Amino acid sequence: MDKLLQALLNGLLLGGFYGVMVLGFSIIWGVMGVINLAHGEFLMMGAYMAWALFRAFGLDPFASLVIVMPVMFIVGYLLQRLILNRVIERPHLMALLVTFGISISIANIYKVVYTASPRNVPVSYNGSVELFGLTFPIVKTLVFFVALSMMFILHLFLQRTRLGKSIRAAAQNKNAARIVGIEIDRVYAITAGICIALTGAAGAMLSPTQAIFPFMGAPFTLKAFTITALGGLGRIPGALLGGIILGMTEVLVATFVPGIGTNLGVAVSFVLLVVMLIVRPQGLLSGLRPMEEVE
Amino acid sequence: MNIWQRMASWRGLIGWLILVTLLALYPYTGLSGSQLFTLSQVFVLVTLASNWNLIGGMTGYVDFGHAVFFGIGAYTMGILVTPVEMAFSPHLTFWQALPFAGITAALFALVIGLPTLRLKGPYFSIAMLGTFVAMREIIRIAAPITGGGKGLDLPPVLDRISDYYFTLALMGFVVAFIWWIRRSEFGATLIAIREDEVGAEMRGINTTQHKIIAFVTAAFFTGLVGGFWAWQNTYIDPDVVFIESRTVEMVMMSMLGGLGTVWGPPLGAVVLYFMRDILWANLLDYHLISLGVLLIVLVLFMPEGILGTLGDRSSTSLLHLWRRERHPSPSNQDSGGNT
Amino acid sequence: MKRLLPLLVLLVALLLTACPSPSTEESATSREESTQTEQQSGAESSSEVKVIRLGAAVSETGKYAREGKDTRQGYETWRKWVNEEYGGIKVGNERYKVEIIYYDDEGDPDTAARLVEKLITEDKVDFLLGPYSSSLTKSTSAIAEKYNKIMIEGNGASESLFERGFKNLFAVLTPAGNYTQSGLKLLADQGAKTMVLAYEDTAFPTSVAEGAQRWAQEYGIEVLAVETYPKDVADVSGIMSKFKDLNPDIFVGGGHFNDALLFVRSAKEINFTPKAMLITVGPSNPEFVAEVGADAEYILGPTQWERTMSWKGPWFGTAEEYAQRYEKLWGEPPTYQAAESTATALALHVAIENAGSLETDAVRQALLDLDIMTFYGPINFDETGKNIAKPMGTIQIQDGKIVVVAPEEAAVAEIRYPMPPWNER
Repeated sequence: MDKLLQALLNGLLLGGFYGVMVLGFSIIWGVMGVINLAHGEFLMMGAYMAWALFRAFGLDPFASLVIVMPVMFIVGYLLQRLILNRVIERPHLMALLVTFGISISIANIYKVVYTASPRNVPVSYNGSVELFGLTFPIVKTLVFFVALSMMFILHLFLQRTRLGKSIRAAAQNKNAARIVGIEIDRVYAITAGICIALTGAAGAMLSPTQAIFPFMGAPFTLKAFTITALGGLGRIPGALLGGIILGMTEVLVATFVPGIGTNLGVAVSFVLLVVMLIVRPQGLLSGLRPMEEVE
Repeated sequence: MNIWQRMASWRGLIGWLILVTLLALYPYTGLSGSQLFTLSQVFVLVTLASNWNLIGGMTGYVDFGHAVFFGIGAYTMGILVTPVEMAFSPHLTFWQALPFAGITAALFALVIGLPTLRLKGPYFSIAMLGTFVAMREIIRIAAPITGGGKGLDLPPVLDRISDYYFTLALMGFVVAFIWWIRRSEFGATLIAIREDEVGAEMRGINTTQHKIIAFVTAAFFTGLVGGFWAWQNTYIDPDVVFIESRTVEMVMMSMLGGLGTVWGPPLGAVVLYFMRDILWANLLDYHLISLGVLLIVLVLFMPEGILGTLGDRSSTSLLHLWRRERHPSPSNQDSGGNT
Repeated sequence: MKRLLPLLVLLVALLLTACPSPSTEESATSREESTQTEQQSGAESSSEVKVIRLGAAVSETGKYAREGKDTRQGYETWRKWVNEEYGGIKVGNERYKVEIIYYDDEGDPDTAARLVEKLITEDKVDFLLGPYSSSLTKSTSAIAEKYNKIMIEGNGASESLFERGFKNLFAVLTPAGNYTQSGLKLLADQGAKTMVLAYEDTAFPTSVAEGAQRWAQEYGIEVLAVETYPKDVADVSGIMSKFKDLNPDIFVGGGHFNDALLFVRSAKEINFTPKAMLITVGPSNPEFVAEVGADAEYILGPTQWERTMSWKGPWFGTAEEYAQRYEKLWGEPPTYQAAESTATALALHVAIENAGSLETDAVRQALLDLDIMTFYGPINFDETGKNIAKPMGTIQIQDGKIVVVAPEEAAVAEIRYPMPPWNER
């Protein structure tokens, strides 16, 4: 029983991280209709930035969010203005190929700059505390709460602010939004900025728990697909739900299947992706915007 | 269509057959083992790119996991011929095992294609990407048969000259076959699906059937290539066989040459191989970066590929060709921006 | 006519591919030179320098770029020494200078196979030096076997390489199965009774893990659980929490550098404290301490070679002397990949001298008969081509330094055992 509870807790914590990790991917897709295959690489950029700041100034990865997020916002803004903007109106294939090219380039540029050696940020508080008979890994718990607050702030931003409303309007009906005087290009660029900033933040928070290397991005891009397929497109609760389902599945399989559990956990998440796409392309929650409507 | 046009339309195939014949005679000029091997690798790439083009370029279903069929072909070959005693190892010869490599891949394509080809464009791409990664892990877990992560040894029998002729024959056949498909009613339907699937359906075309046939055909030949590759590499493991870059190469080559054209993907394959080998040999670490940048540049500035950019658009772009032949009216004007 | 244009372009391009590329031309000219050399030396012009030509496809780019660089520098250390100090390899009464042709295999099996084929059929090398990684060695050794060329390598440790019955493949490094031998023996002597094992499900770690289970049985250690995980795994906490419940004495983890990081992170995170953690790849790399920080303390790891080891041979002196020479040449300390590459070339060198011939059969016999002591450790091949003489070293991270603790003959410090719990440090 304890083991089950502990596994569920680990899955929940992982799921919270997945939730914030996937947001940038899911919103860019939902708002612009661009599937960003370089998603994982932006995560990797954030992680390296946190690592470099830690190495150079001893800056804590959570504190470094203050620097990582604005920088990544600019990266995202420019990305949209210089490249994505040119493919938004074109067939999906073009966006896929362009972001794929970006993904290869970024990963290999990082390899040249930082070499392929794995990096890690050894923060001093990476142990655990025992509470209610359960083990809480400190860093992962922190990540979970920071992730939740980011999602909450983003939710408020989208619902309450003028800019947020413009973004939602642009997502729902581009032409109508244009007619009521929304500068679509600017809204898109800001959306991309926010999304990439979130992705970079997720990467930075990952840096104390995982090995950082130039090619770490691809699995995250795939997981982002799975989570989006589970939770539906462009919605914050969906991202969180999808993330938690994936996180719990992975951890439960890894914990309770002997021998090949971790292997199987990885396979399961992709089988889940294919099955979800085939059976329920609109995601698990009904009432969310089905993926199919986005064109 | 007058006789001259009819003759002219056969020129492509005739030219191709002459090219293949010349290549068949080429070894008699005394090529070394490594030259034979280099050429047969190019033939393999041309075959793969042409196959991918059938589903990705002509039908417009961008398959981001096409290498899964390569992998299944390779593993079918590996399991059937390995000299090591596994849970199931019938110790067949290369020629006995080869058909199974293609057939297994085709069957798998049928099973996976029936549900996934119903998905719209990008969802199909993702589903295939997921299938690809899932398959790699499944092969790893099925260790008693596949050798798991340790891999499988194949008999170390190498014969560069037969490899050369095998890959040449396969390439010759596949490209000619694609050429034939492109001209047939079937090919025209595939392109109609790419341009307007709903419209094609409304005109009473069984789009699912057409898509499945194209998909299974492409998978069959990709499986054959995979089987051959496993044989000539004498060793397979999940990470060597299921590499993402193989799909990437197929996509890049088709893109570079010109999506949906007959000669584009082969040309793209040759050009890309050439560039990687010679032009970028001195760039060392930077060559993958340039590959990525090239892809971005291609999409942004020459989405019709080399053929579309170099030559007269209407003579090379499959879309325009088809439009012109079917509707020799001004209607080809409005197809301008579509690719 | 326009329709034929693409086809024409294709034809030209295809034919061009087979044409000699710039690099081929280069080697073609050097081939002519060498035939000239042979002819002249045939005419007994004693002033002419004879050349032994070696070929190596090594990664300069791709996933093994770093290891490939070390491998190449290791080979070059030997080549410079042979040509400039030693005066060339002695074959009979004559001295041969050494030339090594390198190509970049990009870590890609197709490219590696093509380049090895080229080294043999076009560059006509006399012997082949191995590439980096077991999987590339697998495909290229089959080609060497086909053309009956000896391939001697120092960077493919999987035992399955030597189970295919190849007669031309030799490796100077300790095979993967023996990686954990000295470490487990030491731990058994310290009183460890139980062990858990987690390894990446790829060729090399699987060999390591099979060996670890074998040695555990030999030393009376009970294996409580075995877990596998896929390449580039992101999270091993599932494995670690299973292990925590078993409360073992020893944790053995096999895989690559990033897994080593994850194991330490994860163990600390869930407060899993075995008495010893033995992790295959990673701890012996100086960067491990830099990345993991203080948590790296007490971690054990196998190592093929360390400069502090007490090996010594007549060719490069002691391990430390070799390391100093290497540092002077390249401006960085040698990794064990570099040392084993030098040792690889050295073994070939000695075998050629013993054989007194460049014939494949004679040199193969000389390699099989070889029994020498070098800066890298003892070298003695069994009939499959593995080096059975060399024990694997085990290091421990003590006060931020990598020190050798086993085997006895190479050790420089005592093991610190057991490892204290994470929260009591």
